Amino acid sequence: MVLSMKSNYSEMFGIIPPYIIRAIEQNSNEEEERNVAKANLKFDNEFREQRAATSEVMSKGDVYINRECIQKQRFIYDADKSLNPMPLVRSEGSVTVNDVAVNEAYDGFGAAYDFFCHVFRRNSIDNHGLPLKGVVHYKANFYNAFWDPVETRVLFGDGDGKRFNRFTIALEVIGHELTHAIIAHEGGLAYTGQTGALNESIADVFGSLLKQYHLGQTHSEADWLVGVGIFTNQVQGEALRSMKAPRTAFDDKVLGKDPQPAHMKGFVTTRRDHGGVHINSGIPNRAFYLAAKEIGGNAWDRAGLIWYNTLCDKTLKLNINFKSFANRTLKHADILFGSESHERKAVKAAWVDVGILA
Amino acid sequence: MRISLRTDGGFAYFPGLNRPIVIDSETLPNEEQKSLNTLLDQVKFFTLPEVVATPAPGSADIMQYTITIKDGRQRHTVQFVDPIKNEPLQALVEYIQTKALEKSP
Repeated sequence: MVLSMKSNYSEMFGIIPPYIIRAIEQNSNEEEERNVAKANLKFDNEFREQRAATSEVMSKGDVYINRECIQKQRFIYDADKSLNPMPLVRSEGSVTVNDVAVNEAYDGFGAAYDFFCHVFRRNSIDNHGLPLKGVVHYKANFYNAFWDPVETRVLFGDGDGKRFNRFTIALEVIGHELTHAIIAHEGGLAYTGQTGALNESIADVFGSLLKQYHLGQTHSEADWLVGVGIFTNQVQGEALRSMKAPRTAFDDKVLGKDPQPAHMKGFVTTRRDHGGVHINSGIPNRAFYLAAKEIGGNAWDRAGLIWYNTLCDKTLKLNINFKSFANRTLKHADILFGSESHERKAVKAAWVDVGILA
Repeated sequence: MRISLRTDGGFAYFPGLNRPIVIDSETLPNEEQKSLNTLLDQVKFFTLPEVVATPAPGSADIMQYTITIKDGRQRHTVQFVDPIKNEPLQALVEYIQTKALEKSP
C-alpha cells in the first residue's frame, strides 16, 4: 500500500486518523512507505492544528503564507504610576528602549505570538491578528498583572519593591495573561468556582508551555513553576505556583503558605478569590503536568494540543466543571490520537490521579 | 476615624494577605492627619455608591478593593476594581497600601 506524497493539505489527510498512519510508519516493511507515512503524519498534524482554528480564518489563508505569522503587532504603554497621560513607548518593529519592563513586555508578547502561531496556528488572541497591548509601571507598589477586556490590554505592576518584583519578569506570567484573553475569545469560562479554576489552570498551562517552548525544554527539563523571579529574596518561596507540586511554591511568614491542593480531596470551598479560582487551579494544573510527563517529549506537542483543541471546542459550556472538562480532553485525545493511544491513556490516568475521574 | 482596606483576587492567592489593612487616624502625626482629610474630601467617600465598579466580563486576575470608613457615627463601605477610574479613590488606595508597607516586617 502506498500513500501518495502531497506538498499541500489534502482531503485525504482529514479522513485517515493519525494513529493508522503511525501504525503504517512503525510496522510497514517498506522504507519508502514508512517515509511517506512519516511525512503524512507531519502534514496531518499541521492540518489538524489548522482545523482547530476557526473555519473563517482558514478560508482567508493569507495569514498562513509560507507558514509565517505575519500579523504580530505590539504596543507597549508606560503608565508611570498613573493612567493619564499614558505614552506609547514601544511599538511593533521599534528598537529596545532603556526600560527593562517595557522590553520584557515587548519581547514576551512577541514570544507568545510566535508560540501560538507556530505551534497552534493561532494568529494572535482572536486568531485575527488582534494587536497585543501592554501597560507597564501601572500604579505604585502594585504587585499584580491582569487582563483588561475593555481596552484589550494587559496591565503590569512593578511590585512593591519589598516582596514583589515587576510582573513582566516572568515570561509565563505574560503568557498567562494573554491566555485569559484567548479563553475569552473562545467563548469564555465563567470566572468562578470549578469553571474559574479551569480558566486559571488553562492560563497557567499555556503560560508554562510558552516558557518551555521558548527555552526548548522537554517536560522533564521544565520547572513547571508559575511566576519565577517575582518574589524578592525577602520571601521564602521560589514562585507563585507549582504545577508539578501544588502547595510547595512558597511558605513565607508574611504571605503564608501556598494554599493550592493537588487532588480533589483538597478542594477548597471559599468565598474569597471568586471561589478560590487561583487555589483550586492546582488540581487541573497537576493533571496537565502528569499527562505531559506520561506522554513524554515536549509538553506543547501532544498534551498541549489536546488541551488547546479542548479550549477551542465550540461546544464547551461557559460553566463547565472539572469532570466534564476532563471528559472533553479525552474526547479530543480520541480524535487526535485514537481511543487506544498512549496519549489518551496518559490523559485519563492523569485525571484519575487527581481524583477528578474514576 | 478608622479606615480599613480589604483586597481580594489578583494573580495569586496569599493566605497571609487575607486580613484587612486598618488605619486609625488618631495614631497618625498631625500633618498626616491633615493630608488624609484633604484626600478624603477629594474622594467624597461618604457620597460614593456602595459598588463603584465590578469586574467587566472576561476580566481575569483583577484585584478587588473594599474600603470601610468609620468616622464618629458615619460608617460607609465601598467596593471597586482595577483599573480604578476615580483618581482620588486610587490615591486613597495607594496611601493605605503604602502605610501598610511601611508598617510591615
